[in-house]
Amino acid sequence: MSKKWSLVAIVAVLAALVVTSCKPQVQTVVVTVPGKTEQIVVTATPVPPTRPNILRLNLGPGDVPTLDPALATDTSSVQVIDMLTVGLTRLDEVTLEILPGMAENWEISPDGTVYTFKLRQGIPWVRWNGQEVEQVLDDEGNPRFVTAHDFEYGIKRTCNPETASDYAYVLAFALKGCGELNSADLGALSDEEKQALFDGVGAKALDDYTLQVTFNEPAAYNLNIIGMWVAHAMPKWIIEEKGDRWTEPGFNQSYGPYALKEWVHDSYLVIVKNPFWPGIPSSPQASIEEIKFTMLDASPAFAEYEAGNLDVAGVPLPDIDRVKADPVLSKELVIAPLACTYYYGFNTKKPPVDNVHLRRALSLAIDRQGLSDNVLKGGQPPAQWFCRPGMAGCPTPEKYPDLGVKYDPEKAKAELKAYMDEMGYTDVSQIPEIILMFNTSEAHRKIAEAISAMWKETLGIQVTVTNQEWKVYLKTIRTADAPHIWRLGWCMDYPDANNWTREVFAKGGSSNPADGGGINWENPVFEELVVKAAREMDPVKRMDLYAQAEQILVWEDAAIAPIYWYTRVTVTKPYVNRTLSQHGHEMLEKWSLQP
Amino acid sequence: MGRYIARRFLWTLLVLLVLSFVTFALTRAVPGGPFDREKSLPPEILKNLEARYHLDEPFGKQYLRYLNDVLIPRITARKPTPVLEEYLINIKLWNGYYFRWMNLGPSYSSRSRTVNDIIREQLPVSFQLGVAALTIAVLIGIPMGILAGLKQNTVWDYLGMSIAIFGVSVPVIALGPILVWIFGVMLKWLPPTGWGAKPPYILFFIPRDLSWNFWRYVIMPAFALGLGQSAIIARLTRASLLQVIREDYIRTARAKGLPERIVVLRHALRNSLIPVVTVLGPMFAAVVTGTFVTEQIFGIPGLGKYFIVSVTNRDYPVIMGTILLYAIFLVLANLVVDITYAWLDPRIRYE
Repeated sequence: MSKKWSLVAIVAVLAALVVTSCKPQVQTVVVTVPGKTEQIVVTATPVPPTRPNILRLNLGPGDVPTLDPALATDTSSVQVIDMLTVGLTRLDEVTLEILPGMAENWEISPDGTVYTFKLRQGIPWVRWNGQEVEQVLDDEGNPRFVTAHDFEYGIKRTCNPETASDYAYVLAFALKGCGELNSADLGALSDEEKQALFDGVGAKALDDYTLQVTFNEPAAYNLNIIGMWVAHAMPKWIIEEKGDRWTEPGFNQSYGPYALKEWVHDSYLVIVKNPFWPGIPSSPQASIEEIKFTMLDASPAFAEYEAGNLDVAGVPLPDIDRVKADPVLSKELVIAPLACTYYYGFNTKKPPVDNVHLRRALSLAIDRQGLSDNVLKGGQPPAQWFCRPGMAGCPTPEKYPDLGVKYDPEKAKAELKAYMDEMGYTDVSQIPEIILMFNTSEAHRKIAEAISAMWKETLGIQVTVTNQEWKVYLKTIRTADAPHIWRLGWCMDYPDANNWTREVFAKGGSSNPADGGGINWENPVFEELVVKAAREMDPVKRMDLYAQAEQILVWEDAAIAPIYWYTRVTVTKPYVNRTLSQHGHEMLEKWSLQP
Repeated sequence: MGRYIARRFLWTLLVLLVLSFVTFALTRAVPGGPFDREKSLPPEILKNLEARYHLDEPFGKQYLRYLNDVLIPRITARKPTPVLEEYLINIKLWNGYYFRWMNLGPSYSSRSRTVNDIIREQLPVSFQLGVAALTIAVLIGIPMGILAGLKQNTVWDYLGMSIAIFGVSVPVIALGPILVWIFGVMLKWLPPTGWGAKPPYILFFIPRDLSWNFWRYVIMPAFALGLGQSAIIARLTRASLLQVIREDYIRTARAKGLPERIVVLRHALRNSLIPVVTVLGPMFAAVVTGTFVTEQIFGIPGLGKYFIVSVTNRDYPVIMGTILLYAIFLVLANLVVDITYAWLDPRIRYE
C-alpha cells in the first residue's frame, strides 16, 4: 500500500512541475468597485519590463590575462584596454581607417620620420571609487588631465626591458631608440648611461599637450603603430604606488569611454560608462551604461545566450547547422570577416618539398571552397594569398582576381608531372615520405585529414599526418629540421600589410626565423619589395608592391599554401544595435540597446 | 597515536620535497617554454622575459630560488605589492612589519597575478563545489549501497546498481550539458553557468551569502559531479556489506537476539565502511582541488582548469603550485583516512 502511494506522490510531483512550467504568464487583478457588492476580475495587460542598460558579452574561457597596456598580448585583454584608454590615433573597427584619437591633429616632418602630435585638452583621468566614476586628483587637489607626459611615460615604460613587455617589439621595430633601450642590460650600466638610453627613445613631450615622436622609417604604418595599446598613456603615479597591482579595480585609472568597475578573476569583469569622457568622432561617449564580460567556453556561452543571459555569443561549430536551420536564431546569425589567415607552411629546404613544382602541386590541389563548405562551415573565404584583404596595403580579390593560388586540379597535375620529370620519377610512389604536422586539436585534425584526402585524390600522394602538443609543436616547427608541411594562423596586430607579409615571412620574421626553421626561405626580391612597400605612401602603388611580394610567396616560390581567411560566426540579440568589427575586438562605445 | 601522526607528518615533508624536485625538473625537461607563441618573440624580448622570471639562471639555482621563496619565512616592513614578492601568509606584527611566508611565484600567463592569488581566489570555489558534490555522493551512495546489499538480488538491488552503473558510465561531459539544456535553457529554473559566491570568504572558503542565490548555482554542477562519485560509493558499500554480513560475528549478533536494525547499523555497516572511507580520502582530495570538466561545462571559476592550462601554457610556477597543493590535500586526506580506520575498527591500532 505505502509503495503504491509513494509512486502516486512521485507522479503527482512530476505532473505539478510540468504544469507550473507551462503555465502562461497572465496577470489577473481583482478590482473592487465602490458601491457594488460583487468583485470584477480584470486581466491586466502586462507592462513590458524595461531593459536595464547593461550589455552582457563573453570574452572566452580563462581570466583576462592583464589590463596593463604595456603587457597585453591577446584579444580579451586588448578588448577591455581599448575601452579604458584611447591611443594617439584610433582605428575605425569597420573601415580599418586610422583616425585621430587622443591626438587632435599632427604634423609630419619633410623626411617623414618625425611626427608632432597635438593632444586634446581637458580629458581627466578617472577611477571607480566603489559608488561612481570620479576624477582623479593630484597631490594639490586639482584634477589630473591626460598629458603628453603620460604618453611619453607609457611608451618608455613599454620599451623599458625591466617591464619585460612582449609587444615591445612592435615599438622597438618602429620607434627610434626603443630597440636600443629594450635590448640593453640595464644592470650593467651607470645612471648616466641609463638616462641617455631613456632620453634616446623617440617620444618626447614638448609641453603638456604636444608630443614629438620619432620613427625609424618614413613608413605608412607609423600612425597605426603609435595608436596601439602599448603606446597608450599610462598613469605613472598609481603604477609607482601600487606596482603590478595597479590594474585591479579601485586602483585602476583610465580616461577612455569606460572605466573598470569590477573584476572577479576567472569569472567576470564589469566596465562602466565614464561620464567624463567627452566623446570624439572616432570614439563617442558611451550609450550603454554598463558592460559585463563573462569568461566562458564556447558551448556554455551559447547556452547562456539561448537562456537569454548573454546578448552576443559565438556559435560553436557543432551548433552551426542547427542555428542556420532555426527560424529565430538564423535571423540573429552574422558571419563577419576576421583579420586572420590559416595557412600551411613548407620547409623549403627539406626534400622532397624543396622542389617548387611539388609545393605548387600541393597548394593547387587544395579545394579551399570545399573545405570551407563541408568542414569549417563558417563561410570562410578561400585564401589566395596570405595578407587579409581589407588591411592597408593588402591586395583585394576585386582588384587582383587572379593573384596567388586557387584550386585547380589540372594545373596541380601538370606541376606534379613537372616535378616528377625533373626528378626522373615514373610513379608517385617513388616520392619520398612527406610529413604534415599540426598541433593537437580536433579542428586542425579535421582540416589536415580533409586536405590530405584531397592530395590523395588529385595527386595520388599519401602524406603522413601527425600531431604534437602545442608548445612542443612550436619548438619543432621553428628548428631547422621543421617538418615538411606544418600549419599556423596569423591574426593582425595592426591593420597593415607590413604586419602580415613582412613581419611573418621576411627573413627573421615570425614564421621564418633567422637561424632556420619555419619556411626556411629567403628571396632577395621579396625582401626588397616588402621594404619598398613599407616606405611607399601612395596606396595604389603600395598595394601593387605587396601583390608582387605575395605572388612570389604563394606562387613563384610557393613557400606557403594559404588556406582560408577567418570569419567570426556570432549571434546577436535583435535589441542590440552594434557595429561589426573587422579585427576581432569591438568598439563598444558605439553600441546601444533598444529599450 | 600522537607519535604516529608526527612520524607521518615528517614523511609528508620529505614526500613533498621529492615531489617538488621531480615536478620542477620535469617542467624544465618538457620541450617548449612559457614564451613560445604562435607569434614568435624576437630574441631580445625573450631575453627580457627570461631575465624577469630568472629563467636564464642554471637549473640548480632556479630550484634553490624556488625553495627559498616558498620555505623561508621573512619579516619585512614593506607591504607586498610586486607580483614577484607576494606571499600566501602575511601576518601583521608591529608598526608596519609583516611576517611573510610562502611565495609560490608569479603566473607567466596572467601577468598581474600570482599563484597565491589563484589559490586564494579559485581554490575556495572548487572547495565549495567539491564539498557539496561529495555530500551528495555520500548521501546517495551509502544508503543506495546498503539497500542493494541488504536486499541482494531483489528489485531494489537491481534498481540501485542500475543507477550506479548509469552514474559511472555517463560522464559529466555528457550529463552536464544535458542538465544545462533542460534546467538552464528550456525550463530556466537554474542559471546555466556561473557561481554565486566571490571573494572574500569567511575562513578562506565559506561564502558570505549562503542564500538561494548561492545554492541555485551549486545544485546542477554538484549533482553532475556527485552522481558519478555516488555510484562508486554505492557499489563499494554494497560489495563490502555483502562480505561483512556473512561474517561469524554478525551471526553471533543475530543469535544474541539483537534487532536487525542494530545488527546492520552497529555491527555490519561500521565494518563495511572501511573500503568506502579508503576511497573517500583520495576522492575528497581530487574533488575539492577542482575538477576541470565540471568547471568548464558550468563556467565555474575554480582551480581545476589551472591543473590543465598551466601545463599547456608551461606556466611553471602555476604547475608547481597546483601539484604541491594537490599533494598536500592527498597526503592529509589519507592521514585522516588512517585515523578513521582506528575508530571504525578497534582492532586497528597505530603504535
